[in-house]
Amino acid sequence: MMEILRLLPENMKQAVMQKIATRWSQLEEIRLRLNRPIELNFHKQIEWINEIIFTEKDSIYVLNQLSEHSLYRLEDELREGYITVTGGHRVGLAGEVTTVNGKIKQLQHITFFNIRIAREIKQIAAPFIPYIENDNRYFNSLIIGPPQTGKTTFIRDIARLIGDRENNFTPQKVGIIDERSEIAASINGVPQHNVGLRTDVMDACPKVAGLMMMIRSMSPDVLVVDEIGKEDDVNALMEAVFAGVTIICTAHGSSVEELKRRPSMRPLFENHVFDRMLILQKDTHDYFKIDIFTRDGKKITSNLVKKQ
Amino acid sequence: MKWLGAFLLISTTTYIGFDMSNRLSDRTKQIRQFILSLQMLEAEMEYSQLTLQQIFRTIGKKTSSPINNFYSRLAEHFDFVVTDFLDVWDQELDRLTTVSALKNNELEIMKQFGRNLGQHTFIQQQKHITLAIHHLQQQLDEANDQRVKYEKMMKSLGVLIGIFIVLILF
Repeated sequence: MMEILRLLPENMKQAVMQKIATRWSQLEEIRLRLNRPIELNFHKQIEWINEIIFTEKDSIYVLNQLSEHSLYRLEDELREGYITVTGGHRVGLAGEVTTVNGKIKQLQHITFFNIRIAREIKQIAAPFIPYIENDNRYFNSLIIGPPQTGKTTFIRDIARLIGDRENNFTPQKVGIIDERSEIAASINGVPQHNVGLRTDVMDACPKVAGLMMMIRSMSPDVLVVDEIGKEDDVNALMEAVFAGVTIICTAHGSSVEELKRRPSMRPLFENHVFDRMLILQKDTHDYFKIDIFTRDGKKITSNLVKKQ
Repeated sequence: MKWLGAFLLISTTTYIGFDMSNRLSDRTKQIRQFILSLQMLEAEMEYSQLTLQQIFRTIGKKTSSPINNFYSRLAEHFDFVVTDFLDVWDQELDRLTTVSALKNNELEIMKQFGRNLGQHTFIQQQKHITLAIHHLQQQLDEANDQRVKYEKMMKSLGVLIGIFIVLILF
């Protein structure tokens, strides 16, 4: 947790530490807004630190710590609106946007920070590996779920399990194309999360280019991609599938039927690209529901997984 | 005894004269080192995308004393959490004052430059670097003028004053 606390000025650090005490495992977000108290988001409730108002001086401090006093390095990050820090945590930024020809040039006067605590939940996908694997060969799989249901956590663990020796099968070469740096959360190309021994990560790379780059140069057995949705993504994915590589990817949505209706996704289903569909749903506060379907829509398992 | 005293006196004033003339040429050398270091800073920022700490360390290795110590020490500060970069910057500049031939003018330029270091995107940062180099260049020209004017004079003046005093005492 030090990597998060070090971002905050001394007085805030103390207050946050006191407020959180032993509940680090439940913390999801720390939100800082100029001239407002600090907000702490836990799994179930919101709490405020009212004694401390986040001042402009504090915001400069936080930004300096985020950039290691080197703001010139963060131009891309300021355009994208988030910075990844050590430990894979991500800090979302908002403020005033400057544009050139209607395109975002950069973020100025950053006044809102959202420190999102990243948590790898190891082994979460372990019970489901047998369903997407047959004779040491993995099925093309699609993980579907609405936002905040742990798709990325899930796919990260799948990548780790496939690439690691931990499971009982021979580990396979995994390639992750991490366009939004969410799966591996790399800093300077070094993954901050454990993504497996035999896993290679192409960080911050556009999916379309990354898929072919990986296939050409890194000879992966399995390619892992986050959040497909655009037509280009789908086309690139088809190319990869027919190049003989297993694809495991995620998509926003709440059911297979819903996805089938999206025009950009249609070719994937028409060509029966995916052999397995995993549907993630938020069940209650503490549980996720995971259903696994085969290519013809037959449900093969349904499970509840506890949120940690 | 008399001769020994005279010899000591003359060598002292000669030493002072040489030292003062050395300071003049050291100042130009050190300003030049500063300009060079800012150019390196700019290049590193643009091409290698390193953090300030890493850049300071590189510059510290490539410049000569006492500027290299200034940068190396700055880099060391970053091993711990730097709460106030300006504080560290100013403190190290002040320390540099005591061991270098630099004058207040160029130190003031560097202090001002520190206000903007690491606070801007690259394009803006580049402007600040160019500006600081420009100001330092002016100081360098002035320092050069002084060096040309006074360097030799200081040396001979040292010897001559020594001889002069000895003559008076005799």
